Amino acid sequence: MIDLKSVNYDRVLRRYDIQMEARETPEDIAAKMVPQDPVLKKIAEDVVFMRYKNVQDDVTAALGTFSPEEIIDKGLVKGMDVVSELYGRGIYYLPHVMVAADAMDRGVKLCESKMTGAREMKGKVVMHVAEGDPHDIGKNIAAVLLKSNGFNVIDMGRDVAVEDVVQTVESEKPQLVTGTALMTTTMSAFPKVADRLQEKGINIPFICAGGAVNRAYVESYPMGVFAEKAAQGPALANKAAEGWDWRKLRENWDKLTGGA
Amino acid sequence: MALKRYTKMEYGSPDEMVFGEAKYPVSYGLGQTVGAGMVIPEVNFAPRPGAEKNPETLRREYVDYITKDVLDRAITLGFPAVQLENEHVFQMVNDPEKFEKPVVAGQKELMQKYHDEYGIALSIRHTIADPRLAEEGLRPGMDKKHSYPEKTIEAFEVAAANGADLLSVETMGGKEVADYAILHQDIRGWLFGIGYLGSLDMEWIWPQIVEIAKKNKVRAGGDTNCAGANTSMFMAGGYLDKDIPRTFSAVTRAIASARTLVAWEAGATGPDKDCGYEGPIVKAIAGKPCAQEGKGAQCAHADLMGNLIAQVCDLWSNESVEYHPEFGGSSVQCWLGNIGYEAALMNTAKQLKQDKLLRDLYMATDRYRSPESFILAYDNAYKIGQAIAENGNDIYLRAKLPA
Repeated sequence: MIDLKSVNYDRVLRRYDIQMEARETPEDIAAKMVPQDPVLKKIAEDVVFMRYKNVQDDVTAALGTFSPEEIIDKGLVKGMDVVSELYGRGIYYLPHVMVAADAMDRGVKLCESKMTGAREMKGKVVMHVAEGDPHDIGKNIAAVLLKSNGFNVIDMGRDVAVEDVVQTVESEKPQLVTGTALMTTTMSAFPKVADRLQEKGINIPFICAGGAVNRAYVESYPMGVFAEKAAQGPALANKAAEGWDWRKLRENWDKLTGGA
Repeated sequence: MALKRYTKMEYGSPDEMVFGEAKYPVSYGLGQTVGAGMVIPEVNFAPRPGAEKNPETLRREYVDYITKDVLDRAITLGFPAVQLENEHVFQMVNDPEKFEKPVVAGQKELMQKYHDEYGIALSIRHTIADPRLAEEGLRPGMDKKHSYPEKTIEAFEVAAANGADLLSVETMGGKEVADYAILHQDIRGWLFGIGYLGSLDMEWIWPQIVEIAKKNKVRAGGDTNCAGANTSMFMAGGYLDKDIPRTFSAVTRAIASARTLVAWEAGATGPDKDCGYEGPIVKAIAGKPCAQEGKGAQCAHADLMGNLIAQVCDLWSNESVEYHPEFGGSSVQCWLGNIGYEAALMNTAKQLKQDKLLRDLYMATDRYRSPESFILAYDNAYKIGQAIAENGNDIYLRAKLPA
């Protein structure tokens, strides 16, 4: 093998990832964002630091002082807000988000079991992977992020027929429907879904994403709103839940997603 | 069918490995030989959305537009040998007689015409789609809803009988656990999903593919862990991405190598699939030719080893590109030009006996670009191969120890 000792690698590549490594720690950022109350702080930190084995005990203890709704909104969700911040800054990786979301979910389920009525959610989302397509990792990430942001997710799974999507949207009446596909010839199910929904008089935003999917294609059929990454889902869903229609989402897409 | 496990390395040292040469070259197609002193460009493509509307629109897209464009450009640029790869779309596996057969037959008919007229060496790899769903069942008789396991095998039969030269697949076995493992950075889950379950699934499907190939006098090429290790690698991404750690991705690649090897243990001859970045590892073990993709596949994705991964390839690929117009012709023509000229550089280096220098230059540019490129540098790939071969008879240990 050739001797590499004389290579000045600064002339070959630059490790921007190492250069941009954040100096702040998760602890530094959590300290600025978690609630002051010691009971709620502990719950939020269970989420931030992924102490999923502790979260149920800490939530049970807190239920003596706080209502289930307060524990969710001021403890668990605040913890997840910190996790989102850490992920956004590139300090946490996606697996941190997934495990933290698991921890939050455990706490939320316990709180919900103590509530008299149903928990108020931001909105409902029907999610699916296009017919003939078995690739669902992107949809699964998006589902976790949407649930963590307070959405009720109806996950239809993968390889879902057009008619099944239409029927589910008809019966569940969500504020938003999503579709993902990896391949050029499976993403062609999206305009069919859009057409069939419009025939039924349904005109909600239809967020489409996936490997071969692009913005121009998605905006070539009614209702379609492109998402480049799963992490863009909550921003788009929040606006849909506020009542923005698909045209307004398209018009403000760059601002909502940070550009293509 | 008994599998021939690899328990020793076919190459005596890393330095014996170089692009365009394999211990066991393979001949097939219309005058094509792979791994015998030449690197051959392998161009891959995807039809435009809507082309799958009916069997005739799909045939026209693949044969009259894509294949004709590829062959015209190959002659225009004077390439002596080209391989096409058709990664089948879902419709072709879901209804092979209607959608797959006319495409496979039409492509081969056109290739024969160019081969006869110009003498260009041509071959086509048909990569059958694997739509099997773990939740419905991965074996015949289990998926009552779609019959995907049965359709997958049928699609191999149809391809082999109607014009395929080389059969490949990107199998999905183990993905049912691996996706979860990636998202939770759970290396034990990955080892179980890809290293163990994935290898078992390969042991089921590959003897059947080899049998179909033998029956039809074509070649069974090989597999890739595209569905697993590439998911991991692309999520790890580049320097602006922080979805999963690149070190984790590198370890998933090492484990995936043991799974990919199973196809060759079942009797497949190579070349394996271009998107199997584990190619240098399995080639070091088995000595069969491998296809790779890197800087010539920027149409499909970015990776952190665009040059390095060419170091020991036998076919050089563009991964895939959607058929559409570019300034320089259609997309398949432009990307064939890209990979064809790179292959010409490699083949010139071979003729001038500078191939090992060029191999090392490829390797040196990306060796430190990422953990995954570092472990795939041919000297390190060889060491991973040794860890697999030393435990070759135990599919669990041989997946675990390289990690």
